[in-house]
Amino acid sequence: MSKYLDLGIKEIHELLVDKKITPLDLVEESLKRIKENKDLNAFITINDKVREEAKNLGEVDPDNLFFGIPIAVKDNIVTKDLRTTCASHILDNFIPIYDATVVEKIKEAKMLIIGKANMDEFAMGSTSETSYFGAPLNPLDKKRVTGGSSGGSASAVAGGLVPLALGTDTGGSIRQPSSYTGLVGMKPTYGRVSRYGLVAFASSLDQIGPMTRTVYENSSLLNILVGEDEKDLTSVSKDKEDFTRLIGEDVKGMKIALPKYFISDIVDEEINKRVKEVISYLKEKGAVIDIVDMNYLDTAVNLYQIIAMAEASSNLARFDGVRYGTRATAAKTVDEMYEKTRGKGFGDEVKRRIMVGSYILSGDNAKTYYDKALKVRDDITKEFNRIFKDYDLIIGPTTTRVAPLLGITKDDPHKAFMDDVLVIPVNMAGLPALSVPVGKNSEGLPIGLHIIGKTYDEATIYKLASNIEEVF
Amino acid sequence: MDKLSREEVLHVAHLARISLTEEEIEKFRVQLKVLMDDIDKIKEVKDFDDEMMYTPINENTRLRDDVVGEMLSAKVATINAPKKNGSFIEVPVMINE
Repeated sequence: MSKYLDLGIKEIHELLVDKKITPLDLVEESLKRIKENKDLNAFITINDKVREEAKNLGEVDPDNLFFGIPIAVKDNIVTKDLRTTCASHILDNFIPIYDATVVEKIKEAKMLIIGKANMDEFAMGSTSETSYFGAPLNPLDKKRVTGGSSGGSASAVAGGLVPLALGTDTGGSIRQPSSYTGLVGMKPTYGRVSRYGLVAFASSLDQIGPMTRTVYENSSLLNILVGEDEKDLTSVSKDKEDFTRLIGEDVKGMKIALPKYFISDIVDEEINKRVKEVISYLKEKGAVIDIVDMNYLDTAVNLYQIIAMAEASSNLARFDGVRYGTRATAAKTVDEMYEKTRGKGFGDEVKRRIMVGSYILSGDNAKTYYDKALKVRDDITKEFNRIFKDYDLIIGPTTTRVAPLLGITKDDPHKAFMDDVLVIPVNMAGLPALSVPVGKNSEGLPIGLHIIGKTYDEATIYKLASNIEEVF
Repeated sequence: MDKLSREEVLHVAHLARISLTEEEIEKFRVQLKVLMDDIDKIKEVKDFDDEMMYTPINENTRLRDDVVGEMLSAKVATINAPKKNGSFIEVPVMINE
C-alpha cells in the first residue's frame, strides 16, 4: 500500500513535480484511509467531487508547494456546493452558495478539499463531543477526546488521513486539540486571516488557522491563508511576508517570559515537569527565560464566557428556519416557527450559551456584564503589551492536562470552559499563538507547549517552535 | 442543589427564541444556574480602568463605500430556503389581527 501521505509536504511536492505520483494518487490514499478509519469520525461530509478535481489537476504542472495536496476544512467554513453543517442539526442540509475567502485561497493553490471536518456544534465546546454527528476520536487513544472545537481537523491530521487541516480558534479551538493530538496548531493574530465565510460564533474573537504535523508546514500554509479582504473589514492590510523565514534560526539571546499562572497548581505535574525541561533546554541554547507576574490571566475564562456567549446569541439569531437550514413544521405563527426550529435544531451546549448570552445582553445586564467584560478585556490586553515591552515571546503549557477520556465533561456546563483556561487569554488580546508538541507523558499522550507572540509576529513564534520541534 | 426557577428559565428561553421541553426546563434550571454563577464573577473584578475594548484591531478599521455591489439572483438566494413559492420564501402567518 502506498504511504505518500506520511511523507512531508516538500517530499510529496517533489514526487508530484517529477510525475512519479499524481494528485489522484494522494486523493485515493486519503479516501482509503478515511474509509479504513471510519471510527475516528473525523469528517462530517466527504467531497464527492474530489476525485474529479484531482483528475483535472493531473494535466497541470505543480506551481506551488501545496499543489494537489489533500486538506480537511473545518465544517464551520463555507464551501460552495459542499454541505456545511457547523456540526448542527439546524444546518444539516445546508449547501453554501459561495466559498469562504480562505477556501478560495486554498483552491487557488490547487489544494484538494477532501471533506468537511467534524467539530463541536457551532464551535461551542472543548472536546468536540457537542457535535450533532457524534464525537471524533483521538487517533492516539480512541477512548479519549480530540479536544475541540476543531476536533475533526485534529483527528484527520493526527490519524494520517490528510496532511493538513484548517481549524478555527475562538477560545483555544485550534491550539487545544492540537496539543491533545500532538500537532502544530496556530491561531494567527486577529485580522491576519479573513473571516468571510466563517460561520460567526464570537466575531471579536474568531480566527481561522492551520493545523499540521510540522512547524514548517504550518508556517507555509499560513503564507497562503493571510491577507486583507474587502469582504471582511476586520482583516488587516500588511506587507506580504514569508512566515517560514526565521525557522531554524538560533534562539540565542531571545527573551522569553513565563507567567507564574501558567505553571501554577492548576497544571498537571507531568506537564509542568516537561515545560521545565523545555526551559532548561532553551536556556542551554542561550535564550533568556524569566518567570513573570501577570495580572488578569485568571479572569480570562470569565471574560470569555461573557463575551463569547453574548456575541454568539446575537450571531446565531440568524438561524431561524426562514432562509436556510432545517425548519420545524406544524407552527401556526412565525414566532412559533422560530422557537420550535431553534428548540429542535440546536443541541444543549448551544442552547445554554444562547440563552445565557441573550440574558447578558438584555436591558441593564449589558452594562453589568458585557461592558464590564470589555473593560477588563482592555486591561488584560494592556498587561500582555506590558510584558511584550521586555520580552519577545510568552510561553507556557497549552493545556492543564492531557486529552481526557470521552464522556467525562459531557453535560457539565462549567468544565467545557475550564479546558481552555491557558489558551483563552490570547483570544482576548487578539494575539498570535501556537501549540507545538513537546513529547508525550507516561501514558503516551501528547503534551503541547504554548507560544504566544506579539501582534503580527507569527514568524518569531515559528522560530522558537522550530527549535523546540527539533528536540522534543 | 441551587436552581433557577422554572419562570427564569422560560424567560431566557423566550429571549433566545428557543422552545424547551419539560425535561429540558428541569435540566436547564440547574445548568443555567451554574453559568449564571460563573458570569457573576465579573462583579468581583475590582481593579480595572474604564477603557473598553470592542475589537483587537487598532489600525485601519474601516467601512465599505455605500454602493450597490454584485447581487445574487432570487433563485440562487433562495436555494436553501425550506419553503418557497416561486422566488418568494414562504413563512407562517406573521400578522393575524
